[in-house]
Amino acid sequence: MIAALLAAESNVPGWLLVAGPAGGGGVYFGLWRYYRNTHRSHAFETESRIAAQSVTGTDEKFDEVTGTRQSNIDNGNHTNHRQRLERFQ
Amino acid sequence: MTTLPPPGDGAAPPATPAAPPAADAATTTPPPPLAPPTESVIDTRNERLDDGINRCPKCGATEIQLRPKAGMLVCLFCRHEWSEARLDETIANGDLTALPGTTVGSGAAASAADAGSVITLKCGGCAAEVVVNTAEQMGARCHWCRHVLTVNEQIPNGAVPDAVLPFKVTHDAAVKMISEFAGKRRLFADRAFVRDFTPGNVVGVYMPYMVVDAKASADVVGVGEIETRQYQRGTGDNKTTVYDADVYRVERHVDFTADDLTIEASSERAKIDTSVNTNNIINTILPFDTENAVKWNASYLTGYTSEKRDQEVATTTPELERQLLTIARAQVAASVEQYDRGVRWERERLEVHGTRWVAMYLPVWLYSYYHEHKGKKMVHYIAVNGRTGEVMGSVPVSTPRLVGAAVAAGTVIEGIVLAAMGAF
Repeated sequence: MIAALLAAESNVPGWLLVAGPAGGGGVYFGLWRYYRNTHRSHAFETESRIAAQSVTGTDEKFDEVTGTRQSNIDNGNHTNHRQRLERFQ
Repeated sequence: MTTLPPPGDGAAPPATPAAPPAADAATTTPPPPLAPPTESVIDTRNERLDDGINRCPKCGATEIQLRPKAGMLVCLFCRHEWSEARLDETIANGDLTALPGTTVGSGAAASAADAGSVITLKCGGCAAEVVVNTAEQMGARCHWCRHVLTVNEQIPNGAVPDAVLPFKVTHDAAVKMISEFAGKRRLFADRAFVRDFTPGNVVGVYMPYMVVDAKASADVVGVGEIETRQYQRGTGDNKTTVYDADVYRVERHVDFTADDLTIEASSERAKIDTSVNTNNIINTILPFDTENAVKWNASYLTGYTSEKRDQEVATTTPELERQLLTIARAQVAASVEQYDRGVRWERERLEVHGTRWVAMYLPVWLYSYYHEHKGKKMVHYIAVNGRTGEVMGSVPVSTPRLVGAAVAAGTVIEGIVLAAMGAF
């Protein structure tokens, strides 16, 4: 209540009020991960001895997007190498 | 790495030396079998050794064990030291780009359906019969004449692999590493874990793995976007940022070889699900210097436990496929950096031209702690790579302490925010 009144009377944005709970949640999650290490696994894609030939391929423009509010492509996955996709022959 | 020019205006796509098939020729699920049906076998048997008594080549004693610091077998009577030959020196292990079909080490062959874990060894000293459970150990002492008997002949139950990578990290060093790892996580650890922590109980285990060389090609197809304009719409408080972008059909192809991919060959260890187990911890301490693995000699396992392989080439092939596709995606990543709004890969293809499979025991120091919280049971591991000393672990947390820390941190942050609001 007091915080809401303060937010209303000051120039500071009201969403800053969730900084406390969010920070607390971040501390909980960060410590939990540091102890449990559930996100860890062998990075075989970078730690293995791989010898690759030059990458080849094509890039063909086929469309344009105008006035989208999204700053990135929908469902971009170029950094998520472990996500498996539909297979083709 | 890439030979690709940056994308142009779409009028003239670059040449495609090995482009994937057109989109309309795609979409077949499931994919075809990975490996060619023909298999050739590399004989990795250590013909110098038999099941039963294996003596020191100098004095004839059977009290032989590994000296981890030197990586050598040592006779406990005459102190003579020796080692088995490196596997890589005894089999054809040449150019991976010429890998033909599927080649399997004789120690990685499929298990016979009726092969059990328990075998009986005849003691060469007194002719007594000694039972060994190969699911847990690969040797036993004759209870009559005290000779040490070991299992060295490849039997169709997965217990004797093609090679073993001996421990290099000593027990004392492993205890120290595990103590340091847990010590850094003491404050918010479960109190029972802290109270019961006994790092001296760490156990040296030889874990079973399939070590695979592969030659493969992969294709990925998707859509990429390059931002062409960024501007504001609306007025006052209703202003929003919007974007224009060019959209490209992106196709990539890569040929590559992978050397010594290491895949769990124990079905229990291969089940990695962090909601019910901590097997990811043992997976994390990979890789090992598998190129230094030596030909099988059960004496390397004296004083350690072992886990028998129960996975075969056919059952680990899906995991190999997954790893090869992941590697391919990582390899092509640099070639799509120009797409500043990102790329959405939609379909992928893998063709495996050749594989070579070798079964191996790899050394792991393992500290385990059984934890039960609100009816949920879990075994937490702290594992040390027995070669590189890489440590990883899972330590059960004290929820009350963690909540206390979160509330304290949240209160401090909120206090700072309120103070800032009051100042304005």
